[in-house]
Amino acid sequence: MTQNTPRDLFEKGLISEAQYNKIEPMVSGKIISVFYELRTMLYLGVLLFTGGIGLLIYENIGALGHLISIMLLSVVTLVCFYYVFTKGLTFSKEKVKPPTPYFDYIVLLGSLLFISVQGYLQFQYQLLDDNLGWSTLITASFFFYVAYRFDNLGILSLAITALASFWSISVSPQKWYSGNFLETANLHITAIIFSTALGFIAMVLDRKLIKKHFTFTYINFCSLIFFVGCTAGLFDSDYFVVYLVLIYAGCAFTVYYAKRESSFLFLLYAFVFGYIATTYLMVNLIFDNAPELIFYYAVLSCGGFVYFIISYKKFFKRKS
Amino acid sequence: MRSAYNEVWLYNLEVVKETKGWLKAKLIDEPEFKTIFENHPTSFYHPNFVIRLLIFVATLIGLSGVTGVLALIILDTNEMVISIGCLFYGIGSFVILDKTIIQNNKHYKSGLTEALMYHACGFTIGGFAGLFDFEILPLLAISLVTLSFAAYRYLDLLTTVASFFTLAYLLFHLFFDWGGIFQQIIPFMFILIFIPIYLLIKKWKSTERLSIWNNNFIIIESLSLLMIYLAGNYLVVRELSVNMIGLSLEIGEDIPYAFLFYTLTVLIPVAYLYVGIVNKDIVILRTSLLVLAFSVFTFKYYYGFDHPEIILTISGIILLAIALLLFNYLKVIRNGFTRENLISEKWTNMNAEAFVISQTLGGNQVKVDGSFQGKGGSFGGGGSSGSF
Repeated sequence: MTQNTPRDLFEKGLISEAQYNKIEPMVSGKIISVFYELRTMLYLGVLLFTGGIGLLIYENIGALGHLISIMLLSVVTLVCFYYVFTKGLTFSKEKVKPPTPYFDYIVLLGSLLFISVQGYLQFQYQLLDDNLGWSTLITASFFFYVAYRFDNLGILSLAITALASFWSISVSPQKWYSGNFLETANLHITAIIFSTALGFIAMVLDRKLIKKHFTFTYINFCSLIFFVGCTAGLFDSDYFVVYLVLIYAGCAFTVYYAKRESSFLFLLYAFVFGYIATTYLMVNLIFDNAPELIFYYAVLSCGGFVYFIISYKKFFKRKS
Repeated sequence: MRSAYNEVWLYNLEVVKETKGWLKAKLIDEPEFKTIFENHPTSFYHPNFVIRLLIFVATLIGLSGVTGVLALIILDTNEMVISIGCLFYGIGSFVILDKTIIQNNKHYKSGLTEALMYHACGFTIGGFAGLFDFEILPLLAISLVTLSFAAYRYLDLLTTVASFFTLAYLLFHLFFDWGGIFQQIIPFMFILIFIPIYLLIKKWKSTERLSIWNNNFIIIESLSLLMIYLAGNYLVVRELSVNMIGLSLEIGEDIPYAFLFYTLTVLIPVAYLYVGIVNKDIVILRTSLLVLAFSVFTFKYYYGFDHPEIILTISGIILLAIALLLFNYLKVIRNGFTRENLISEKWTNMNAEAFVISQTLGGNQVKVDGSFQGKGGSFGGGGSSGSF
């Protein structure tokens, strides 16, 4: 049916002849776009190349020709950045359309190689020997800069991952850092605070209309970190009610955000983690004494939920 | 018997989905889309993908509750009763799906339909196979019948994939059981069987009367191509011969007809690529790229896998070079191919791409840190991105 749609619509007078002539070749396969194929190739190329280079560097430290390869890498990095700075558009708060279809991947390649070279130099010359955790922070800051400068979502998510790993690595093994602030803290508390703070910053940036299309990625990472942190606390801690309340608060926020942005992924998170929390509560209150009730609970809760979604289907519709 | 769904609505829904893509690509404008939308009404309940997933998960949990309650009743009886009970429970689920959910409540791939369908498939197959003590032949036969039925009647893609592989496994099992010469010629039989299947499906794909199954056909088409390739692939033939048929190879020995399989490993991907480019067939083109990569892997597996880091680096460079060259070459339309993203495919999404990048390329980054940190903690970088 796909191939005949343009002809059908044209015959019914729903599209004009000019439109028909333009659309028909694309739909019938007279013109074929290999955009996704080439992008996938680029992605795999970057994946294999940076992975291989990373292995090469750390397996051959001190070997002959090593310095040469580092210099070669630096040259490639410079070429990448020369390209993106000359071709790229200036910074804008809005979404920037990349000048070429492969621009994003040049930015990605350059940034990953830059990090490799920088990591190597740090290792070789022992630049940050005492504060090892800081190198992750440098990585994160660099990624954030590149992400905002060249409007790159992939780099942004790398930046958020690096920033999160800075916190988690530094907090647990290095007591000096947690100091008086997180004296008795476990990692899940760090996770909750980190995700709430970052989520708050993201919402402020969103409100100020700075790179509004980045908000989804921020909130996605934040809500995952938040929910998983809370769930870990729920199972571990004696004060599970606190985490229960936190999870419900998180659900309220994600449902609000899902509705506002019509991105229902967050609704899925809210359901999954809300359901886990509620079930945990029920297990503690009721099922310990009457385990067979859990079947009725599953039927009633999920049946009710499905019924709710279907009855309020207007609420869950995308803005078209 | 045709599909369970109203075909006019199916057609209308497809038109609306497709023209939405045109609207996004600015090939038509908002009022025109609106007119098309109003001229193609459907009464289906067909929510977006995430809602579908949500309903799917919730339905599965709910159904497991129903199953649990029923299991409590039936569990004390003997195996025969349990098998028959499962069979009836499965068939009953199909009936409820067909009559109540699809006909009366007009669900179309809503998550509820899929969950109930897989549930029904599972119990029908399990119950039937239980009657035969889970012997392999009845199990495969009932799986093939049930899964094909679900794929056919509910236009479902996952059961299409499942029934395809069930068929392949059934064929393999039959030839294997006959023994002797039949075991030797399994690769050729597979090629001889799946080429006609491929051609038949391609013919059906262009038949307008069968167009509601278009997506199922595309899946079988690409899987058939894959199967034809795998049947002739040296690595697959060699490993299956050694592991399944019990061929023992001394050092320096090779499988029978080794040269032929080497040739096929090289020739089939090239032939696919050629046909794909000449006929402008995107299905065979994509398959050719996939099997090309597997052919490279096949040769690397037996010859020189010593320096993975060098191989990784060089293949990365080659891929980047080819992709960049093609991007520049296809700046203008050549032979019908273009680098521009004409009508974005509905499964692509920039946010998803970013997430994949952070999960895969980030690992590289964390490892670099780890090697000069020496201590990481279990809450490492990858973990903070959601999988801890």
